[in-house]
Order: sequence, then C-alpha cells, then structure tokens
Amino acid sequence: MATEGPPPVHGIADFVRGYEAEEILLAFRCPRCRSLTATWGLACSRCGARPLEEARLGPTGRIVAGTVVAVPGDELLNEAPYAYVVVALDDGGRISGWIRGVDREADIAPGTLVRFAPSYRPGVQFERIAPAGERPEPP
Amino acid sequence: MREAWVIGAASTRYGKLAESAREAATRVGLAALDDAGVEPRAVGHTFVANCFGLTERQGHLGPLVNQGLGIPEVPSVSVESACSSSSAALHEAYVHVAGGFADVALVVGAERLSHLDTLTATGYFAFAADSAFEARNGATFPGLYATLADAYRAAYRTTPEMFGSIAVKNHANAARNPHAHFQREISMATYLASPTVAAPLRLYDCCPFSDGAAAVVLAAREAVPRPAREPLVVRASVRSGAPTALQDRPDLLGIPSTRRAAETAFRRAHLEPRDIGFAEVHDCFTIAEVLALEDLGFFPRGTAARESLEGTTARDGRLPINPSGGLKAKGHPVSATGVGQVVEIFEQANGRATGREVPRTDYALAHNVGATGGSCSVHIFARR
Repeated sequence: MATEGPPPVHGIADFVRGYEAEEILLAFRCPRCRSLTATWGLACSRCGARPLEEARLGPTGRIVAGTVVAVPGDELLNEAPYAYVVVALDDGGRISGWIRGVDREADIAPGTLVRFAPSYRPGVQFERIAPAGERPEPP
Repeated sequence: MREAWVIGAASTRYGKLAESAREAATRVGLAALDDAGVEPRAVGHTFVANCFGLTERQGHLGPLVNQGLGIPEVPSVSVESACSSSSAALHEAYVHVAGGFADVALVVGAERLSHLDTLTATGYFAFAADSAFEARNGATFPGLYATLADAYRAAYRTTPEMFGSIAVKNHANAARNPHAHFQREISMATYLASPTVAAPLRLYDCCPFSDGAAAVVLAAREAVPRPAREPLVVRASVRSGAPTALQDRPDLLGIPSTRRAAETAFRRAHLEPRDIGFAEVHDCFTIAEVLALEDLGFFPRGTAARESLEGTTARDGRLPINPSGGLKAKGHPVSATGVGQVVEIFEQANGRATGREVPRTDYALAHNVGATGGSCSVHIFARR
C-alpha cells in the first residue's frame, strides 16, 4: 500500500489558529541549517532538510520593508489604510503582518520596532513600539 | 535537441474584450497559424494558458480551443502559472518541439478580467501570492511590489522621478502600439500627481487589469524549410522558481528566480547580457522593471532606476526595454502577457512594429514573472 507521507506536524490551519486565536506565532526550524520559517512546508526551503522541527517565533522585531495599503483586498476590506510589513523577529525568523491605523509611510520606516498584537481581526497583527533607530521605553 | 523557431504570431488589442477568453484564444490561435502559413491540422500539440477561466465559468480551455480550430483530436495542455502562465506554456511547447515530440506547436494565452470589479480582481491577484501567509495578512499584489520598492529605495536612495521615468517611457511606447491598452503618453507631472495605491507605488506605477489574447506558432526548423515570416530562433527557454512568500527570502532587493533563469538562459544561449538588442521584461509595476533589469544582468544592482531616468532604456537608448509598452502600458491580460511579449519581439524582427522600431533585433530577451517571482521564465531569441 502506498504511504500517506510523513507524520503530520502543524498544518496551515494550526498556523492561522495560532496567530488569530491562541496568540502564538508558529514556525518550523530546519534540523540542518537551523533557519526559521513562518511558512508551512515539509522540508526546508533553503537547504531541503527534513523533517522540520516545530518552533515558535518571538513577539517583537523590526520592520524590514513595508507599505501603506490604500486599496485593500477583501481580507482587510474595512481596515484601509493600514500597513503591510515584513518583520525580522528579534529571536529569529521573518514573518509578514499588518498594522492597523497607519496612513503615513514614515510610521513604518525600515527598522521600526514592532510587537505581535493579536486581536479579533484576521491575520498576523503588529503594533508599533518605537520608531526606527530608537529603543523602546522600559515597561 | 532540435532547433525551434517561432514562425507566426498574433494578438488582440489589450484592454476590454467583448468576447470570452475562449473565443479570443481561438481567434488569435487561428490568426497566428494563418500568419505562419500553417494549417491547423499540422499542429501536433497545443498549449493554452488561462488563469481566471473559472470566473467565466469555464476551465480546461485547451481542448475547447482545439475544437474551435477544427482539430479536437490534437492533444492539449491547459497551463496556469499566474502571470507567467503563457511563457510557461511556451516553455512546454519548446520542450515538445526541441525534444522531437511535436513538429509544430501552438501556444495561446488568453484572459478576460473586465467582468470583475476592482475588489474582486485585487483579491484574485493576491491568491497568486501565498494566500495563507501573505494575503490573509493584508497583502495585495500592489502591496507586495510596494514592499519590494520600499526595500529598494531604502537601500539605494532612489527618487520618485526614477520610477516615474519608467511609467513615462512605457506609456510613450504603448502610444505607438495599436495592440496596447493605454494609447496615450503621460508626463512626469501626471505620474507624480497620481494617487497612492500602496506607498510608494502610485496609480501610474501599476499595470492595468486587461483583457487580451496572444498566440505564437513554434516549429522545428526541419518542419518549415521555407517559413512565411522571418523566424525567431529560440536560443534559450528557461524556467526557474523561488519561495513565493517574501518572508522566506533573505533578500528583498531582487527576484531570485529571475537571477537563476537568466544565468541559465545566457549560458545555454552562449550569450551575455550585452549581446541583447532589446528586451520585453515583466513590469507589472515600475519597481518590477527595475528589479528585472538588474536580475537579468543588464545593469549592476542599485543602478537600473537611475539608468531609466537617464534614458538608457528608451527606444532610442542603449538598451531599449519594453518597446511594446510593457505590462505597465500595453497592459497585463495575465495569461496572455508572456506570449504577448514574444509577439512583440516577432513583430520587431519582421519589421511590423511600425512607429516603435528598435535599432537592433539580432538578439532579444523576454522575461515573465509569476506573482512576485515564485515562478519565472526567460526566453532568448535570435534572428536566423
């Protein structure tokens, strides 16, 4: 009998449930090159190693690049304008997400410090903590 | 491997079609065969690209095109690879012809989008990115390229005028192309005054949603000893890939699939970027043309936007880019775009690009990207 493939690890629905309902950012870590990815897969997209190890990403990071979306798709239809950003997380890995209520490019300059801020809204939602080049205020 | 030639080409005008993608595909398919002087019954295989057919309540377009051409018994493959669908179809046709599995192949791309409202079309385009890990987080197609533009301008300190020069150039070229969606020039002032879609991209940084269809006939050299038109010799037909989601790329300053495809294509063609006389590159947004020119090896990284502003890529410049008007202004009927680029190269080689001729047609390159580069095609053509 043909096999069904490798044993299940967390699936796409688990990623979504993680960031929308459980306040965690699921990821995979490569067993060989140790790279982290926030995208579902069965093998490392950098070196091909498998099986991937389940991992979690840290909550804070800095914006690598982004945009202020004025014409949204249907996922965030009523949220525009908002920022769509790619974030390099402090503890490793990159993830894309969005920031509510941003209408100025200057507010999402590369290097801006952000924190995972889940809410009832869809997707990976971040909030700004400090502008680029600044350290956050102590809690 | 056998030598493969493009021996005929045809295209609708891009813009808004009154007919379905099925009808347009069949019509340009027949027109391309007529252009080549080849009867439909000589076709050994068809390759038909169409992404959005299900929005017209019609999938599986290949056999329908064949039936419309009176050759229902001929095998077909229906191809979907986002915006690079028809260049993927061309590559598959090349594999068949060069590999000896067909003497003559028909490649058709067709798309109809004008029946969709902007919100629906924007949503469907985003599905060609990583739907679960990008679109769900608010990414739109312009938003993803705007993110690449943001990374580029931060690294190389570009000005809006640099990106604007690409829009102005491509509109000027499209104004001389009767197949183009937009047939009027724009000024830099018009570009700069256009509203923001996804910062820093303005409206005039973006290609339109277009309807359209285009087709080429590919044949083995020995199958057409006396071609009706000046053939294009396929010197390289290469596909490549990369992680779809931007979050999985260590570098946002280029499209890795373009780099890989270009390196392989130039190696197989025994050519270098400086040998190319002109190119049709994937400029769904102005930043896409900038990245393409650098990833293809035409300009060093960080310099293509400035070269555009200085006129290097104009029709009378050192390296004419997108003399058709490109996706930006000729239009972007998704699944017709890639083969439509080859139509332009064929028109230039046959002296039919009246009013927008480029000086050198000895070697030309076509570059077509799926979404933000998850898939990519590079084709290099030579005059006989």
